[in-house]
Amino acid sequence: MNPLLRRGWFDRLLMAGLCLLALAWMLPLLWVLALSFKPNEFLMARTDVFLAPPYTLDNYLDILGTSAVFRWLGNSALVALLQTAGVLVLSSLAGYGFARCEFPGRRWLFAFVLFGLAVPAQSVFIPLHHQFTSWGLQNTHAGLILPGLAAPFGVYLMTQYFKAIPLELEEAALLDNASRLKTFVRVILPLSLPAQATLGIFTFLACWNDYLWPLVIATQPDMYTLTRGLASTQTNFAQSEGLGFLMAQAVFAGAPVLLLYLFFQKHLVSAVSSR
Amino acid sequence: MKRLLLIAAALLAACSPPPDDPSRTEITLMRFFGSCESKFGAVNDVRQGVGECGIVTTLVNEFNATNGEGIVVRTQIGEWGPYYDQLTARLVAKDVPTVAVMHESALGDYVRRKLVRPLHEDFARIGIPVDDFTEHARRGVSFGGKVHALPFDTWAWLWHLNTGLFKQAGLVQGGRAKLPGSPEELIAQAEQFKRRTGKPYFAWAVANETAANFRSFLTLVAQQGAPLFSSDGKSIDMRQPAVMKALTLMQRLYAEGHVKPHLDYAAANQAFLNGEAGVLLVGTWTLDQFLREADKPGSALAGGYEVVPFPQLYAKKAVFADGHAWALFEGGAKTERHHQAALRFLKFVWSRSGEWARTGHLPVSRQVADSAAFKQLPMRAGLTEITETGVGMPGNVPTQRAIELLIGEDVANLMLSNKPVAEVQANVEKRVNTALKKARR
Repeated sequence: MNPLLRRGWFDRLLMAGLCLLALAWMLPLLWVLALSFKPNEFLMARTDVFLAPPYTLDNYLDILGTSAVFRWLGNSALVALLQTAGVLVLSSLAGYGFARCEFPGRRWLFAFVLFGLAVPAQSVFIPLHHQFTSWGLQNTHAGLILPGLAAPFGVYLMTQYFKAIPLELEEAALLDNASRLKTFVRVILPLSLPAQATLGIFTFLACWNDYLWPLVIATQPDMYTLTRGLASTQTNFAQSEGLGFLMAQAVFAGAPVLLLYLFFQKHLVSAVSSR
Repeated sequence: MKRLLLIAAALLAACSPPPDDPSRTEITLMRFFGSCESKFGAVNDVRQGVGECGIVTTLVNEFNATNGEGIVVRTQIGEWGPYYDQLTARLVAKDVPTVAVMHESALGDYVRRKLVRPLHEDFARIGIPVDDFTEHARRGVSFGGKVHALPFDTWAWLWHLNTGLFKQAGLVQGGRAKLPGSPEELIAQAEQFKRRTGKPYFAWAVANETAANFRSFLTLVAQQGAPLFSSDGKSIDMRQPAVMKALTLMQRLYAEGHVKPHLDYAAANQAFLNGEAGVLLVGTWTLDQFLREADKPGSALAGGYEVVPFPQLYAKKAVFADGHAWALFEGGAKTERHHQAALRFLKFVWSRSGEWARTGHLPVSRQVADSAAFKQLPMRAGLTEITETGVGMPGNVPTQRAIELLIGEDVANLMLSNKPVAEVQANVEKRVNTALKKARR
């Protein structure tokens, strides 16, 4: 048999297998979407339905009927965008410093930053909350944004990326009388866009989906983020009595991120795959 | 520069809070029960509210619309699961709500830390009759002889019955489901039920669930008249025979297939609604929903639904019960005017406590419990005894919700993975006593 043909079949099988795996991965998401259009009373007894009736838009109308929902959406967008911007600026500057600048204690300081990766966020939760409330930052955007700016992963990622950029490029710029800052901004930063995009995506998603920190630092409904606000509207036994509403909330909270992905898909994929 | 200063001053003025309007008193109310603003946000008549969320929303709306004293109650909804984490965070941050709903089992921890205002004298002054509180409700909100909250309801652990399946199993007496009167009778009935219907007797949330296991366990121990905790609330005794009997019964029911296996909370409810088991062990809060389900033609419960308190299997009547209550926190009222407004709101809530009983929860006022209006609500007459027979952990046991979790986890292991009874006893005793010791440091 022609080896090419054999390879074709294998490729086809591989593709079929990958499609099956993708479907298995997507099934729970599709299930969530399907259940979000079912009445809550119906779902108390049956959840094994996809396309069969009954259908309803009530769950989405209930979300949109909550007067504060667009404020929560705005809070989430503001917090996620500012936190992402802050992390990118701070991680890039710190990463460049660790990668390129010689200063006393650099290795120790870098190890100290990396140690932050090993500390679970939950373990510093109570002192962090005490600190922010004592500064009067409870129920403020600053209180929601600032703790996320300490991003050891971002510093690590950018440091490693900057280290991989050939030193000669920088030296060429310095020979042309460019300052250190100018070299960083004009030469190094543009080259690090794939890493910036990766870090930006991770930071934005983590911030958008964060629930735990907003739960304790945003205790006034006006300051809720979307995750926090939507959760507050759930009934006590949402998993049985308000399942459709719960699923609609999941879709509603995920939709802005999905829309972003659809619009910027090309850029995001190329950024992550460094193409 | 002058213009810049003027603009800055204008911005500052715009951002600063409006001056206090003496004709308007705004208080904050923190609660769970969810949000149903789209359905009930504009309804000002509590009688039109349906379900927990609908009734509590319309209750507040009615007060805001009718109090005539310029009092505005601003609702701040917290999620049920991490509600106390959020409440504690607010207390730490001095962002204290004026009024907050609490479980009676959680109230004691806040009272001991002197965070909750005693209300005995206030209630006497404004005319909320503490003597009218049911026995369970009064016990739930009283600490050191003083009332610290307004009880809102009593909720308890019930047996929801599919009487259609009970008929099929031949377990009917005088037109009603025949209930067991001892552990032996329970096993015999469960065997008969399985033989005749091919279905398990119980649907019961075991997996990913600790509260249900704890509540059944505590009920079975309390029915034997055995005190699970020492009189000072500082230790638990899991080695006593009553504990062993309760655990052995639960393990046997599960191991012999009388409990539909591996169900979580939602799946247990589903199994019952689909007629896959005879009895669902769950609380008062599902009553309203199941009654509606029983009215639907074609439903597995159509014309065949009944609800009873957890039957008496041992020497005395007892069933796990807890309650919701409204508490006022230290620092929650900015001025005496705000405190008085909060009391005025509590008095209004008390005057409408009969409406809340429509949710399925039991009344906390003897007068309401004895009223024709309450007794006319379907199935309620048989549940009223719980206001007297309801039991929970003693009020002097700290961190009750954490203790409930510790006990519930191991009781789940007893059933799900057949963990030996002796191991469960030893493990629970060790973990709970450690937790109690830590709580008292």
